[in-house]
Amino acid sequence: MSPLRTLAAAHWPPGEPPPPLPGFAASIFNPLVAAVAERCLAAHYGEPGAPGAPSGPGESGESGEPRRTGLLLASAGGDRATALAIDTAAAGHRMPPLLFFQSNPNAVLGHVAARWQLTGPVVAISPLEAAAPGELPPDALESAALLLADGDADQVLVITAELAERTERPAGEPGAAGGTGHATAVLVTAG
Amino acid sequence: MSSSAPPADRPVFTGLGVLSAFGPGLAPLAAAATRGGTGFAEVTRFDVGRRGTRRAALLADPPPLADAVLGAVADAGRQAELPPGAPLLLALHSDLQTREVARRVSEGAAALGLAGVHRVYTGACVAAATAVADAAVLVGSGRYPRVVVAAGHLVEPGVFAAFDAGRALARDGALRPFSAGRSGTLLGDAAVAVVVEAADAAAARGARPLARLAGWGRSGDAHHVCRPRPDGAGVARAVRSALARAGVVPAGVDYVNANGTGSPMSDLAEARALREVFGAALATLPVSSSKSVHGHALEASALLELAVTIGALGGGGLPVNAGWLGPDPEVELHLVLPEGRTDDRTDDRTDDRTEDSAEGRTEDRGENSAGGRAADLPGTRPRCALSLNSAFGGANTALLVAAA
Repeated sequence: MSPLRTLAAAHWPPGEPPPPLPGFAASIFNPLVAAVAERCLAAHYGEPGAPGAPSGPGESGESGEPRRTGLLLASAGGDRATALAIDTAAAGHRMPPLLFFQSNPNAVLGHVAARWQLTGPVVAISPLEAAAPGELPPDALESAALLLADGDADQVLVITAELAERTERPAGEPGAAGGTGHATAVLVTAG
Repeated sequence: MSSSAPPADRPVFTGLGVLSAFGPGLAPLAAAATRGGTGFAEVTRFDVGRRGTRRAALLADPPPLADAVLGAVADAGRQAELPPGAPLLLALHSDLQTREVARRVSEGAAALGLAGVHRVYTGACVAAATAVADAAVLVGSGRYPRVVVAAGHLVEPGVFAAFDAGRALARDGALRPFSAGRSGTLLGDAAVAVVVEAADAAAARGARPLARLAGWGRSGDAHHVCRPRPDGAGVARAVRSALARAGVVPAGVDYVNANGTGSPMSDLAEARALREVFGAALATLPVSSSKSVHGHALEASALLELAVTIGALGGGGLPVNAGWLGPDPEVELHLVLPEGRTDDRTDDRTDDRTEDSAEGRTEDRGENSAGGRAADLPGTRPRCALSLNSAFGGANTALLVAAA
C-alpha cells in the first residue's frame, strides 16, 4: 500500500465535553465523533457544504463538486453507552426511537458526510486494541490505505473515538449525560 | 467520476459456508430463494409481546454467535481446501458483545489454521461487503494469496426492539421489497464465510473457483444520518464503480440481487439508482431482493446475499422477490416473482415458512428453474450478477460476481 500523507489532524482531549448533537441521545460517543470530525475538516476544507476551499495536492474535484472523501470510524470499545441503553430499554417498557437511529456507528458518519458533502465510502471498524488519546490505531491507518489504493476515495477522514468506562450508563441514570471520552481525526490522502 | 483501480490479480471465491434460517448450507437457502418460500415466523426466542412486529427469519436453536461464524468458516475452508495462514476479516454488530465474540472467533479461527481475525467491521448493513472489497484489494495487490471473510448476526431482543421502535420493521409481518404496500423490513439470522483468493493462487494449487469477484464499488450518499438520498445517486456511483472495475458494461449484467429492505423510501431510491445506471435495459433486467426470503441479517446481510447470488450463478434459478402484492408505479422494476404470481393482490401466501425449508431440506432445483415470471426472463442462469447493499450513514456497496 502507498504511504499516507496527512492533510489535517484534530484531537478532542479527555475531559472536554463535546457539544450536543441534535438527534443523538444517551451517549457522548456520537457528539464526540462529530466534534472531532468538524475540527479536522474545518482545518482543511474551511467551511462545510459545497467545496471550494483549499485546492491543494490530494484535493478532489473542481469547485462545486462533492468531495470524494471517505469516512472511516475506528473504535475498539464502540458506542457502549448506546448499546447499554438499547439493552436496558429492551428489557423495560419503552424503547426511545432515537436509539434505533444511532444503533450503529455509521449513523453519525452520515451526519458528517451530509454536512461536508463527502461522497466517499463510509466504513466502521473495531480495532482489537484501543488507541491512546491523540493517536490512531494502526488498523485504522491500514484500512484507510486500502480505501485509497482501491480508488473510490481521494481522501479519507480517519476518526477514532473511545468512551471512558464511566460513560457506560444507560440514559436516565446518573452520569449518563456527562461522562468523557477522547477522539482523534486525521484527514489523509495517498502519499 | 470514479478512478476505480482494477486489481493486478483478479479475485475468485473458492469456498463458501452459510448458516441461515433454513439451516446449514447453500442448497436449502438457494432452494428457498428460488421458490419464494420465506423463513419468517413468530419470534419465540425472546418476548416480543410489546412489539408492533413479531416476526423474523430465525434459526430454531442457534449456536452461540462465535460458534455459528466458526462453523461457516470451517465449511468455507473445507470447500476451498484452504491452505493455512489466511487472515480473517470479520463483520459483526457493534454492541456490548462485539469484542468477546471477535476474540472467540479469532481463537477458533487459529485452531482451524487461519491467522486469526485481522480486522472487525461494524458498519451496519454494508459491513460484510466492505470486508469483501477489502479482501479483494488485499489479494489483488498480492499482499495475501487468500483472505477469508466472515460475518454473523443472530437476532437479539435489543436490536429487535430498537428496529421496532424506529418503525423499521414491517407492520404486516411480511417483507415486500419494491411492492405496493411495503411497510418495512424483517430481521433474520445468518452466519456466512467466503474464501476470497487470487485467481492465480487458486489455479496454482488446482482449486476450482465457485465464482469470480469481477468488480466492487463503494460510495457515500452525503445526504442524511439514516435516510437514503432520494435520487439514488450514491447507489448508482457504487454500481458504476463496480462495473468500471470489472470492465463490464451495464448490458452485461444479467441479474441484480438488490438491497431491497422493504422500506418505502429506500426501495424507491434504489429503483431510481438502477434506472440511472441501466436506463431502458432495466425493463428486461431481472431484479429481486432475496431479503424477502431470508430476512435482513444486518452486518451479515451482504455476505448472505452474496451467497444467494453466487448460488444463482450455479443455475438453480433466480432468487424471487417474495411478499409482492402488486406494482408500485414509481418503482418500475422487472421483478422476479414467485411462480404463478401476477399483478393482483389476491394470493399472498409467500410469508409462511414452508415445511421443506424449515427442515432445511434440499429442493429439486429442476422444479425451481422456472421461478419468477420465467417467460419474461432472459434466462435463469446469469453469467454476471450484482449484489447491492446500503446502510445508515448513506453507505453503499456493490459487488459484481461472474461465473467462473
